[in-house]
Amino acid sequence: MSTPVLQARDVSMVFGGLTALKNVSLNLDEGKIVGLIGPNGAGKTTFFNCLTGLYTPTTGQVLLKGAVLPGDPAEVTAAGVARTFQNIRLFPSMTVLENVLLGRHVRMRQGPLASLFHGPSFRRGEAAARDRARELLAFVGLGKVEDELSRNLPYGDQRRLEIARALATDPAVLLLDEPTAGMNPQETEAARQLIFRIRDLGISVVVIEHDTKFIFTLCDQVSVLVQGELLVEGTPDVVRGDPRVVEAYLGKPPEEVEAELQAVQEGETP
Amino acid sequence: MGTLLQQIANGLIFGGLIAMVALGYTMVYGIIQLINFAHGEIFMTGAFGGLAVYSWVLPPAAQQIWYVALPAMLVGGAIVSVVVALLMERFAYRPLRNAPRLAPLITALGVSVFLQELVRIFFPGASSAVPFPNAFITAPLHIGSITIPASGLLMLIVSVVLSIVLETYVNGSRMGRAMRATAQDPDTARLMGINPDRVIVLTFAIGAVLAGVGGVLYGTYIHNVDPYIGFQNGLFAFAAAVLGGIGSIRGAVIGAFVIGLIKNLADIYLPGGTAYDYVWIFILLIAVLVFRPQGLFGEAERVRA
Amino acid sequence: MKAMARPLIIVGSIVVIIGALLPWATFVLNDGPYPDKATLEFFDAPFGLSSFRLYLEILGLAGLVFCFVPLRDKIRVLKAVGWGALGVALINTLFIIGDGGGFGAVTVADGVTAFGGIAAVIGAAVLLYGAFQLPAEPKVVINPKLPFWAEWLILLVAFVALLLLITETLTAGGHSGVSDPYIGPLFLSYLSAAGALLGVLWAVGVTKWISDMSERHRIFSIVVLVACAVAVPFTSLGNDYWMTITANIGVYAATAIGLNIVVGLAGLLDLGYVAFMGIGAFVAANLSGAVAAEFGIRLPFLLAAIVAGIVAGLFGAIVGSPTLRVRGDYLAIVTLAFGEIFVRVSQNNIGGLTGGSNAIPNIPDLSLFGTGFNDSLTIGGVQLPSGVLYYFLIVVLVALVMFVFGNLKNSRIGRAWIAIREDEDVARAMGVKTGKLKILAFMTGATLAGLAGAVFAHKLATASYDSFQFNQSVTLLAAVILGGMGTIPGAVLGAALLFVLPEELRQFSDYRLLFFGLALVVIMRFRPQGLIADRHRRAELADQDVTGESLDDTVIKEPVAVAGAKEAGA
Repeated sequence: MSTPVLQARDVSMVFGGLTALKNVSLNLDEGKIVGLIGPNGAGKTTFFNCLTGLYTPTTGQVLLKGAVLPGDPAEVTAAGVARTFQNIRLFPSMTVLENVLLGRHVRMRQGPLASLFHGPSFRRGEAAARDRARELLAFVGLGKVEDELSRNLPYGDQRRLEIARALATDPAVLLLDEPTAGMNPQETEAARQLIFRIRDLGISVVVIEHDTKFIFTLCDQVSVLVQGELLVEGTPDVVRGDPRVVEAYLGKPPEEVEAELQAVQEGETP
Repeated sequence: MGTLLQQIANGLIFGGLIAMVALGYTMVYGIIQLINFAHGEIFMTGAFGGLAVYSWVLPPAAQQIWYVALPAMLVGGAIVSVVVALLMERFAYRPLRNAPRLAPLITALGVSVFLQELVRIFFPGASSAVPFPNAFITAPLHIGSITIPASGLLMLIVSVVLSIVLETYVNGSRMGRAMRATAQDPDTARLMGINPDRVIVLTFAIGAVLAGVGGVLYGTYIHNVDPYIGFQNGLFAFAAAVLGGIGSIRGAVIGAFVIGLIKNLADIYLPGGTAYDYVWIFILLIAVLVFRPQGLFGEAERVRA
Repeated sequence: MKAMARPLIIVGSIVVIIGALLPWATFVLNDGPYPDKATLEFFDAPFGLSSFRLYLEILGLAGLVFCFVPLRDKIRVLKAVGWGALGVALINTLFIIGDGGGFGAVTVADGVTAFGGIAAVIGAAVLLYGAFQLPAEPKVVINPKLPFWAEWLILLVAFVALLLLITETLTAGGHSGVSDPYIGPLFLSYLSAAGALLGVLWAVGVTKWISDMSERHRIFSIVVLVACAVAVPFTSLGNDYWMTITANIGVYAATAIGLNIVVGLAGLLDLGYVAFMGIGAFVAANLSGAVAAEFGIRLPFLLAAIVAGIVAGLFGAIVGSPTLRVRGDYLAIVTLAFGEIFVRVSQNNIGGLTGGSNAIPNIPDLSLFGTGFNDSLTIGGVQLPSGVLYYFLIVVLVALVMFVFGNLKNSRIGRAWIAIREDEDVARAMGVKTGKLKILAFMTGATLAGLAGAVFAHKLATASYDSFQFNQSVTLLAAVILGGMGTIPGAVLGAALLFVLPEELRQFSDYRLLFFGLALVVIMRFRPQGLIADRHRRAELADQDVTGESLDDTVIKEPVAVAGAKEAGA
């Protein structure tokens, strides 16, 4: 098997005295979709923040195509990891097109002087960026609203715009934080199709989601995070059948789950 | 040695003044994360309020008796300050409670300029410095080689006493608890039955009382006031609040004394002397903001999204 | 109430017209030092048809006509008319009360009655109230297909009309710096009426149409605009007084545009900005060969200006570097502290570089082909006023600064700045190197301020720390915020208003800063996007009504005058 595109090795994150993540590992193979599920507060978004350089893991490493990712979000994006946010964070008073163009920022090379003088190469680059941005807007289905202010878009469109903005950075890996939160079934289905089409572009995808049904029908691999630790990982079928997941995720109150988890842990680790 | 001791004494007195202003900054910031840029102007209007009471309310006979005149001026100054602060809160800041963060700061700047100009234009004679009566014992105290004006000592004592009272109040009383709760999380505080508006108004009022008292004592100590005393001393007080860790009451007081000492020692010992003492304080302020924004004595800044 | 809209408008308009025809004051208002200049003589005589009464009659008629003529977006049109009428009526009534002897002057005194002012105010208020009752309509967009030459012609006419409107507004009352006591109300009346006109044009979509056209023909528009600016000395503004005023406006407009990069685009509040202008001024002064200068060298102006810009830019980078660590209001305080340090240090004549309280006086006049910049000049038989070359120099400066601002804003860098302003964390997550870009914003702004400072020092022939105090920073900030953050016309309009109004309202000049402070508060409260909103921010207006029913409304007189112009914000 080839090296995974994105690899998290034993990532731990400690805030003050609180351990948010404990030795979480994840392998993402090229062209695959990996799902990350878990109850609220399981550390999914914290893990995302570690993958994107927003947090530097207390211990452990994140590697992109075998190289350790830098500890700065801007550089991580430049290296090829793009993300969306759980609570949509567009630039509200920029237009739809400008939001996507901002995503192109990292792939554009015009420095201050070029930006000042608007020479021919500047204009070529700008035109190319606009073309690419329009292409991406068409790809996510927002071709007609490029001059709207992003804050005026309906909710579902804002989610899609966030994806277009992330795609504009030409990522190798796309991280989607709850892409279907608050969506109705039709929109959820459209989102699933969109994610498949993104995968078909050769981009590997990690998805955080609460909606287990959505995850199990979307992903090639699923990891379950509970209380900051990796509980199970495997194909949807494996994960779905795992009794611990059912218990942890659906069944029991957190205290019991925690106790059981500890029992499981003690049984597993020598 | 005599000079050093004298400068330390002066520094402590000045620190006491700054502390009374810095407390207002730090409390308002603690509750609503607003740098109330116009807080210095509350101090200034307090001083002018005290002066107005002395000049137009007190009969000439009462003006001569310090234990009548001074309390009357302190009360008058505090009342003026509180009124100004509450109007400011109600009409300038409250409507912007949920606005982007630059908006209240720009408003504060506007309020500050507005109040300065209001006093300059409408207070008789305030277009230049106005003499302020020394409504306290005029004979200075001599301790060894150093000389301390009685009004200066009074300022220092009042400042320390008020700081201790405030600290006790905020930590001990029911309203103090409500304040701390609102500072940490206004929404939850509201759910717990605390009215954040009331708490904010009270915070402004307490800060204004301190600033108003400070303003009157400042006038008594310096013997004249002008509309710009608030801007300058307000900046020092802000520096003090930042130095001590903005949001912390004890920090603001300690920071104020540090600032006071630095200013008075710089007058003698740093290059440039009195002409540059401001510069040193501002450089210190920048350095603290840049390298230790949580203040010298404060805890690490709370992470805010 | 909707049904009442039309009757209210009709009644209001008629009352406005009648009010304009009635006597306004119970006695003659010409006891000032210039009785012959008492252009408000019609205050006491009825049936006048000049000056502000003419505006009121026209506005009243307009109210009637627009009420009956089928018209799209009637509400915005009539609101503009209403605001304009209310502005004119209020200004003149208040002036008579304030300057003419109290309330008796506008009611009954000595057996004479004069209810014109009060009638007009009430009429205008009714008209405005009626306009507010009209149904809301979508914004009118007009976009006819025209051949390019027709569009050029329209643009040319529009810009020339704008130039005339501006010169007329500035010289309303026909003075040139004489302290005529009636200048203030005349000017404000004209401003209100002109504002109403622009407001109506905006409401019917004309201003948007023209600005879209000028966007399409950007180069052509710039050429015409520059030509218009160059033409100013040939108009009624072509005298020493207005050359000085317009040159000052230009310098501050250039500085305000620079500040607009920092505050408006990147969202970094800089409270010590004028210090960079000061640095530029002192650098240029020291390199000018002035006697008091520290270095006995005289560089050519262009070189000195460039050095001034570079030095200011370096300081900008230094002052901006804390942005790497501190954010928002803390940064504002850092810049404020820097500004204060600059003032103190230059007041103390550090290193002999600033002249301290003596300033650096007698900076030699610039000259071009042997003509001193302060000399008057004759071109093609037309005698141009002295200082005209400085005026041209400043036009070049403003054009340069606009070029920098406009190009940067519409580029990768400008987008990144706006993204930082909107959401810094996300900008970083999208690959924007926020630290570098924020320092770049500070540097660019400071460089432009330094250039402006170099010109400023030469224009004034002196560089003194006193010109770069905190209240100048506040004034510049007020200009940017009043005009509209993030836009060029906003910064220019803001600078113009803030530096022209005190000239026109000399009797109120003592209240200048009082008004600025109040303006900051009121604008933040009611129109945070400024008079001319950024395209990015304009959408916020749509759902937010500016003229809310606030408690603060009653205390403000001044913004009413501006209210007419406010509607022109397109």
